[in-house]
Amino acid sequence: MTATGDDVLLQVRNVVQEFVLRDYGGAKGGVLQAVADVSFDLHVGETLGIVGETGSGKSTLARCIIQAPPPKHGEVIFQGQNLARLSRSALKAARRNMQMVFQDPFTSLDPRWSVTRLVEEPLVAYGEGSREQRRARVHELLDLVGLDPVRYGGRHTWELSGGQCQRVAVARALALEPKLILCDEPVSSLDVLVQAQVLNLFEKLREDLGLSYLFIAHDLALVKQVSDRVAVMYLGKLCEVGPVRSLYNAPLHPYTLALLNSIPSPDPTVGRRDTATVISGELPSPLDPPSGCRFRTRCPRAADLCAAEVPELRALADGHLVACHFPLTGNGTAAAAASTAAAAASTATEPTKTASASTAAASIGPAGD
Amino acid sequence: MSVPAANVLTTASTVPAAEVAGAGPGARGWLRSAEITIPGGIIVLLLFFCFIWPLVYPVPKPIGGSLLQVNLPLFAPGHIFGTDDVGNDIMSRILYGGRVSFEVAAGVQVIGLVVGGLLGMAAAYRGGWIEAVLMRILDVFIAFPSLVLVLAIADSLGPSEMHVIWALSAFSIPAFARVARAATLRLRDQPFVVAARLSGTKAWRIMFQHLVPNMAPQLLTFSLLGAGITILLEGGLDFLGYGIPPPTASWGNMIATGQQFISVYPDLVLVPSFFLLLTCICLNMMGDGLRARWGVR
Amino acid sequence: MAATADAAAPDRQLRPSPLLEISDLRVTFHTRLGTVYAVQGITFTVEPGRTLALIGESGSGKTVSAQAIMGILPRTARVDGSIKFKGDEIVGSSEHELRDYRGRCVAMVFQNPERSLNPTMRIGTQIAEAIQCHLPVDRAEAHARAVELLRMVRLPAPDRRFYEYPHQLSGGMRQRVVIAIALACGPAVLIADEATTALDVTTQAQIMDLLLDLQQETGTALLMISHDLGLAASYAEEVIVMYAGKVVEQAPTKELFAGVRMPYTQALLDAIPRIEMEPHVLLPVVGGRPPDLAVIPPGCSFAPRCPRVQQDCRETSPPLQQHEPGRWWACWHPLGKEPGRDSDR
Repeated sequence: MTATGDDVLLQVRNVVQEFVLRDYGGAKGGVLQAVADVSFDLHVGETLGIVGETGSGKSTLARCIIQAPPPKHGEVIFQGQNLARLSRSALKAARRNMQMVFQDPFTSLDPRWSVTRLVEEPLVAYGEGSREQRRARVHELLDLVGLDPVRYGGRHTWELSGGQCQRVAVARALALEPKLILCDEPVSSLDVLVQAQVLNLFEKLREDLGLSYLFIAHDLALVKQVSDRVAVMYLGKLCEVGPVRSLYNAPLHPYTLALLNSIPSPDPTVGRRDTATVISGELPSPLDPPSGCRFRTRCPRAADLCAAEVPELRALADGHLVACHFPLTGNGTAAAAASTAAAAASTATEPTKTASASTAAASIGPAGD
Repeated sequence: MSVPAANVLTTASTVPAAEVAGAGPGARGWLRSAEITIPGGIIVLLLFFCFIWPLVYPVPKPIGGSLLQVNLPLFAPGHIFGTDDVGNDIMSRILYGGRVSFEVAAGVQVIGLVVGGLLGMAAAYRGGWIEAVLMRILDVFIAFPSLVLVLAIADSLGPSEMHVIWALSAFSIPAFARVARAATLRLRDQPFVVAARLSGTKAWRIMFQHLVPNMAPQLLTFSLLGAGITILLEGGLDFLGYGIPPPTASWGNMIATGQQFISVYPDLVLVPSFFLLLTCICLNMMGDGLRARWGVR
Repeated sequence: MAATADAAAPDRQLRPSPLLEISDLRVTFHTRLGTVYAVQGITFTVEPGRTLALIGESGSGKTVSAQAIMGILPRTARVDGSIKFKGDEIVGSSEHELRDYRGRCVAMVFQNPERSLNPTMRIGTQIAEAIQCHLPVDRAEAHARAVELLRMVRLPAPDRRFYEYPHQLSGGMRQRVVIAIALACGPAVLIADEATTALDVTTQAQIMDLLLDLQQETGTALLMISHDLGLAASYAEEVIVMYAGKVVEQAPTKELFAGVRMPYTQALLDAIPRIEMEPHVLLPVVGGRPPDLAVIPPGCSFAPRCPRVQQDCRETSPPLQQHEPGRWWACWHPLGKEPGRDSDR
């Protein structure tokens, strides 16, 4: 299912995005580093899920990729072109192949425009075809997303439900036949049953049209549903990136484990999971993130090294990367994490730095695992 | 097609309701709301009488009245509002004066809307130093007390209807620019504008086809409220002698000249004042009613 | 339909008397756009110390029901039926009586802590205000109790936190403050209306743990309102499922998940993506949308979307009945029973 390494559609390299906060009167209040040095690849035909909670920077990352606004540092290379270096017209041409679906279906569509006009907008902007050809294409697109063009073509957003509006947004995103669609929490504001319908729509389109997705969500279970690979973000940094099965069955980063344990399971026999052993405390202020590893203030396995040095993203298994000084070995259960918490606290040895050379399947962790 | 009733209950629900413009099912029902139709009807009636009635009915001339018929009281035969101190029929002066008031109000609002609205929207959309410079220039105008500013301009230009319109525009252009700027700032970062940019739509198209329709309710209600203020200001200008010079009729200068006789012939002041007040109230009520209807902040 | 056992008649002589008895509650809104039948006759009870989950999507009437219980519905709402708190009727009470009842007997935690807290007041003062509203204590005593409450909701350094403003706290901490305010006067019932929906999943787990621990400490009954069946499974003892203004299924949690009867509940369960599932598998879905609440259909509200619909479903609305001890459902052709035969009445 995972594409081979040669067809890299999108390369994100060391992207940094900062926001300057202004106090009253415009004085510089502080710098918020929403995205701090993120790098990853996305292959053709692949769906990469990006998971994170509040303050993780996932939505900001999406905006960086589409250059709205462009990142402060770093590069976004799409189909071999560095987007930041393109002229306005070249960027417009490149954007044909990269479209976005937003979280709130009602505010991502102009309430004054009819459905037909909304879906037609990209075609008009790029001057595609004659009026009739465009209309025909709009009909085709609406059919594709499951909306009857005759019934819904003339409607406006206030006459549609959330799910229907989101379908219109998807139809619009598909108009120019893009290669990549960025989905920024596209189903978060929808009801459960409608959410499932829209997710199925994404899947169907992926199969029929061979799309690649960058799927951003805060719900791990949802992301697993649609992704080939998943990346976990925390406070602007990537914690872990890996193929879906390997990440969910054997998470390497303590934060991933905490996320997995926090999901309430619709199976009452599982009962309340004790989350106190995997995560504690509150999210630190993004204005002043912890030194070294940003997760260390909440991690049960944190040691002195974690405060001193920023962990780099290293490959521990095939395609599975983690940024942690003391990653979990791969039987990432709550019990294992709890037992290693005691061991890690007393251990003074660090994993050797030579591990930064990407290895095959060697799992590295503190002694005592 | 009826509105899904679930939209009514979106107080704490997980699906947020459209907030962008006041666009919604209520927008189309505005014709049926009493608080808009009654004042609106009165304004339409006034417009009819001021502009169309004198063309079809032989209304006495507003100027050049006979000195034999000076200061007739209300309901005198042939002069329903009486005559003024030089014998002019007051009712026809009301009608012709009303023309002036409405023309000035419309002119000032249109100029403000077009020039100020465009400036504010373009500046806010572009951002950066253009916006900063423009806003500071407009702030200078806004900082002056409106009447003083307008007086200064009217004085330097000289009394005439067009000059009054220019002078009052100095007041309305910055006001509209501010409103348009605030609305654009609010709309500019909305997802649908970002989506339009991503779809490749050019900036001018975004401004005129996305931003303007969504700002329109707000600007429209603002212009209605502004029209009322403009009429009052124009009256004030006339009263102070800087506006339309007599003998041309205008509600303001009728009040000004009638003021001398207020103890003896009060209706010289009361009649134009009443019409001024009525127009202002109706415009305000329409503006408020539309604002409530359209959910404009 | 033969005379059925009224679901409201409690056959719970062995259990302590219920705190809240909601009986055939109906809420209708008369708006400019027409009449909306938000709640169309629901019946259930809340017993002391129990955790009850009220599950439904938007438009199901769950929030409106909670607002009716709290007595905070707007004036356009018409409430019929009965809500009894310890035998006292709430429906039709005066505002004066309701003010006494709210906060002291029943308290509510809302979804958005940003909107529930006054941004210009210190959080300690807001808690103390709630205390002084109902209890005859002086300021010093209220201060001490507020600090104690902050400690109870596990806010570190509670005596310092007393003086902080809401914007200085994170979302999870603010929600803890809101819980502290709700518990300030020791209510018998705490209603959590999507209290964790706006929070991160890790914070959600912490807050739910807190709520349940507090519940055990104070003996408060907890009524959780949510759209998340997973939350109900993990934290509730009993689950009530609502659809289109009516209760469609009610059962103790374990039994419900062991054998769902109502096709809507099954659809909800099926639609939740699960960690255990394989990626790229299409979720089983039901098409369509929730019905327009401006009309009460003759048959079952779920009939247009139900995969098991039969003719009688469209004609007559199935009543909510206790088909098995402790389990209620409203369906002519429930799951787990043979299709085509009515379940026992």
